[in-house]
Amino acid sequence: VSMPDRRTVGELLADSEALARETLLDATLEQAPAMVRSWNQLVGSAVELWAVLPPAPNSPSWSDPMERLRAIGEAISRSVTAGHWPGQGPTDEHLTQIADNLSHAQHLVERSGHASQSTTTDSPADVQHAPGQVMHTLYVAAHGTVVALGAYAADLQAQAETAKRRRQPVAERPTALEISAAQAMVARFDGFEHLAAAAYLGEPPSSTNPGQVATPTKRLETALAAWEVQAHRTLAARPDPADLVRISRVQALITSTTSILTEAAAREGHVDVAVIQRLAPSLEASQLAWSRLAKRWGELTSPASRTDPALVGAASEVRAAIAATATNQAGWAAPDQLASRLDLPNIVKTLHLSMVASVEIAYVVRDTAADHPGLTAPARIIGMRSQGEAELAIEQGETRYEGITWTTRRQRASNQLVPLPEPARRGLINLADDVLATTNQAVAAAAQLDPSDVTRSTRFGREGRIGRSAASRQITHPA
Amino acid sequence: MSFQRMDADTAETLAGVVRLLRRAAELVWAAVDAEGAGSPRQVLALGIDLAADEARNLLPDAIAVQGPVPVGDEPAGLLRSAEQLLRRIDTPGAGAALRGLRARVADLVWEANTGVDA
Repeated sequence: VSMPDRRTVGELLADSEALARETLLDATLEQAPAMVRSWNQLVGSAVELWAVLPPAPNSPSWSDPMERLRAIGEAISRSVTAGHWPGQGPTDEHLTQIADNLSHAQHLVERSGHASQSTTTDSPADVQHAPGQVMHTLYVAAHGTVVALGAYAADLQAQAETAKRRRQPVAERPTALEISAAQAMVARFDGFEHLAAAAYLGEPPSSTNPGQVATPTKRLETALAAWEVQAHRTLAARPDPADLVRISRVQALITSTTSILTEAAAREGHVDVAVIQRLAPSLEASQLAWSRLAKRWGELTSPASRTDPALVGAASEVRAAIAATATNQAGWAAPDQLASRLDLPNIVKTLHLSMVASVEIAYVVRDTAADHPGLTAPARIIGMRSQGEAELAIEQGETRYEGITWTTRRQRASNQLVPLPEPARRGLINLADDVLATTNQAVAAAAQLDPSDVTRSTRFGREGRIGRSAASRQITHPA
Repeated sequence: MSFQRMDADTAETLAGVVRLLRRAAELVWAAVDAEGAGSPRQVLALGIDLAADEARNLLPDAIAVQGPVPVGDEPAGLLRSAEQLLRRIDTPGAGAALRGLRARVADLVWEANTGVDA
């Protein structure tokens, strides 16, 4: 019979932080797949605890960073459940233990009936600091997972190269697909870590007071945060192609706005000129990649298509906020106008975080193209599109598509809705890959604008850091 | 206005609004593509898309949106036509959604006439 757990909320959270640090300290490549599988349980427990805790000191009431993290955690989980890497298998003991601790803490807070003092031995100050501890735990655990995943992906790459040199049979080598799946998961956890770090540090360091009337800067920040969460919700619920079009169009507009406002910030001396010189071409490429993706998803829509009303609402607010902050009657507002309207340094940081979050949206869009079982398209256009994609694949050595006709004459005559043929699906995946590549370039180019960058300055060269003390990377709690 | 209580004339008029808005959006997106990255017309084009989405979501599934492609290649003119059609829907107690759509389309007409598309 196990002993009852008599720890207080403060003790449970302190233990969770310690376990997260151990995760980082002991991160090995072998654990990486199990850590990915455990992630949703950990985030789910954190979300439930967060919901019963008082708001973190200094946290703005209009933006809940945990909603953003929950959306990403669920998206990663759906990807794994759908059979993508790492698939089913064992879970990670440390992360599971942290999840159990957080769930236990949630029960203690709920049982006490009010959040200000959860147990007789928890002081109000303990509970007051709890949101910060939860966010810190998620941040450090995400960092540990990124470290383990980075080592895992690098090891696979090394194995593949060695096997190629030794001319081992192809069946015994890691596949390119497995390597790219592991690398993609590194990027997804990197985004999670990034957002958790920003939330922990009080993103963004705004001069605005949550109690004041909404400023244009705050309106855009709020609209972007709500948009990200809604995009994930819509994508999780068997979206219509029309939803994918709208998501891609909004992302393209956000990317253009990021470019305009960052350039204005550079003109005003808030952003280094060298940064904008690297960033501008990447943002342009990212915006065009989102636009191409929107057009391609548009081919799958029919006159009867509907867009999720909640998505329409969130998109309308993003559009209205961008129109109010960044445009005038002649088009984009001039840099001096933008400087007078907006808190440029902070809005640029917010837009950079939105760009980091957009990488995760792009991954989910890619998963939707790969997995959505109900995708259909009008026969005429999709027949031509499939043929074009098939010919490209055949040129690259794909033999399975040779001699296949993708739609029947009858389907084309009535322009019937037909299930999406594989080459057309492949085309959507390739375009999502373009979005990912260009957006990741933009994120890297803008790293200096990242409000959490101070915490991430030792990010690169992951293999070398495995096993090193986590103490140097620990963030101290705010006073 | 609930779907159940929508009469055939109103439904047909709204379907016409959807077609007009979709055609206007198509034309503005073509201009966006022609301008290349960062076109400010994206703001208007997305606004028209979202108004078309709202109009579509007011219609019950049973109503076919398909129909002839509206004549005209001026987004502002198509938007004006959509606005006029919406004004013809004179259902007493028209829901907030319909009133919101009218206001949205009127704003878009103004944007198209005064903004970069003017």
